[in-house]
Amino acid sequence: MTTNKMLKIERVLAVSALAAVLAAGTSWARAPFTDEELAAQKAALVESIALGYDLWHGSRADMTTNGLACGNCHPDTAASNPQTFPKYMTMYGKVIPFREMVNWCIENPQAGTRLDVDGDDMTAMEAYAFYLHRGKEITPGLASEQTTPIVVEYGTGFARTPTGIGVDNRP
Amino acid sequence: MSDIVDHSRRQFLSFAGKAGLTTLVAQAVGINLGVVDIVRAQTGKRGVEPFRFAIVSDSHLYSMPDHKFDQQLAEAVAQVNAMTPLPDFVLFGGDVAQNGTEDQLVKGSKILAELKMPLKIIPGEHDWYLDMGDAWRGLFGDETWSFNHKGVHFIGLNSILVRDFWTEAGMTPLERMTVMEMLESPIPGPWGVHEKQLEWLANDVKDLAPDTPVVIFTHSPLWDYYPRWNFQTSDAPEIREILSKFDNVMSYHGHVHQTLYNRIGNMSSVAALGTAWPWPYPPVELAFPETRMNRADPSIATDGMGTQVIDLSGSFEGLVQYKPFEDSLTPFMRDGFKV
Repeated sequence: MTTNKMLKIERVLAVSALAAVLAAGTSWARAPFTDEELAAQKAALVESIALGYDLWHGSRADMTTNGLACGNCHPDTAASNPQTFPKYMTMYGKVIPFREMVNWCIENPQAGTRLDVDGDDMTAMEAYAFYLHRGKEITPGLASEQTTPIVVEYGTGFARTPTGIGVDNRP
Repeated sequence: MSDIVDHSRRQFLSFAGKAGLTTLVAQAVGINLGVVDIVRAQTGKRGVEPFRFAIVSDSHLYSMPDHKFDQQLAEAVAQVNAMTPLPDFVLFGGDVAQNGTEDQLVKGSKILAELKMPLKIIPGEHDWYLDMGDAWRGLFGDETWSFNHKGVHFIGLNSILVRDFWTEAGMTPLERMTVMEMLESPIPGPWGVHEKQLEWLANDVKDLAPDTPVVIFTHSPLWDYYPRWNFQTSDAPEIREILSKFDNVMSYHGHVHQTLYNRIGNMSSVAALGTAWPWPYPPVELAFPETRMNRADPSIATDGMGTQVIDLSGSFEGLVQYKPFEDSLTPFMRDGFKV
């Protein structure tokens, strides 16, 4: 066997071995999600977004004592700019995450009780705000100008019972 | 001082007394004056006895005593009462109340009663859908009106009428009101003035000469701004058609809680600041983006709110000046603009 032929065989063996490793590698990772699993994950996300939609529009009484809800000033989460956080906010004098900004609005313009930052309700608020900013460029720390949410067509929304934005809920 | 650079519709752009500065500012922010083209229509032949009127709008009062919005409306009233010279009258642009309850409307009427000058008012959706306008009418009278003042024909219409979405659904009045309170609610559909008011309008102006100065006042804009938030009036095209015979029509509206200008044909359109809260600009291109105000700072409780005053000249030019509670205007808007 010539040296050239030996080199070719070695090359073939090496490629075959690599292919075998790669093939084996695919079997080591988790199998792709099934359609049913993906549907369940999506449903969970939509449920969180819809909960956020309700909370944004006044469904949780302790978020306000003056009747104001997030939606009074931020229809369709406009001008909440979630994709620009974390950023420096003058009212804190430091860089804060979006969920802290949510709590600032709850405690100040709404004069309500802040949400647990690790709770499902805060996650839902974030899910709703980010959902309406999907595809927007992420620019942490920059929001000197108002940014807008995605365009939402008329008549779309969530099939939820209206929660009564701004309804007087003081005892 | 006249700031009319060129009477042609192509070239006119002026900000009172600051034409040079305005040009510099416009160039600094990249505005092409030939494109921006804030233009007034040809003035009518009829003379107007110069006067001013003010606009207060969107107080969204709640029922709680000593709510912060009560004070903000009172501040607007004080601001108008302190204007020199005093406006001849005040137009209120709708949404006195937030939830349409009688106590909220009564509270608003009491605060507005402190105005030194007469008040004309049209309803907003927040005033209306709890009792379909009963309490509002009891306090303020007809929602469709016109009057003449110093040579100008003023018209007010109720632009927040929607199709009946509540009867078939079996909704209570409170549920109906709740649906209407949400700006982005998918349920009620676009609102407008509907057929009866269109007929009334056509009849109201049928004997007026084309050179009659006309001002029309509605809660929502008479152009398709952002229908998603009912920043529109569904039959605005019909309204504009009825008024198309006039040389110059000025439209003033509430509902959008922001500074805004637009023009379609012979009609200029100017929005009013609210006294309760500012609304963000929706995700659409504006023909006159330089008429936007600064982004409101949430840490300043009354930023982006205020009143406005309009001075009408003898040739029916209007100098529009926003009077925000805080420093909310860009340099471009600070000295007012002509329509």
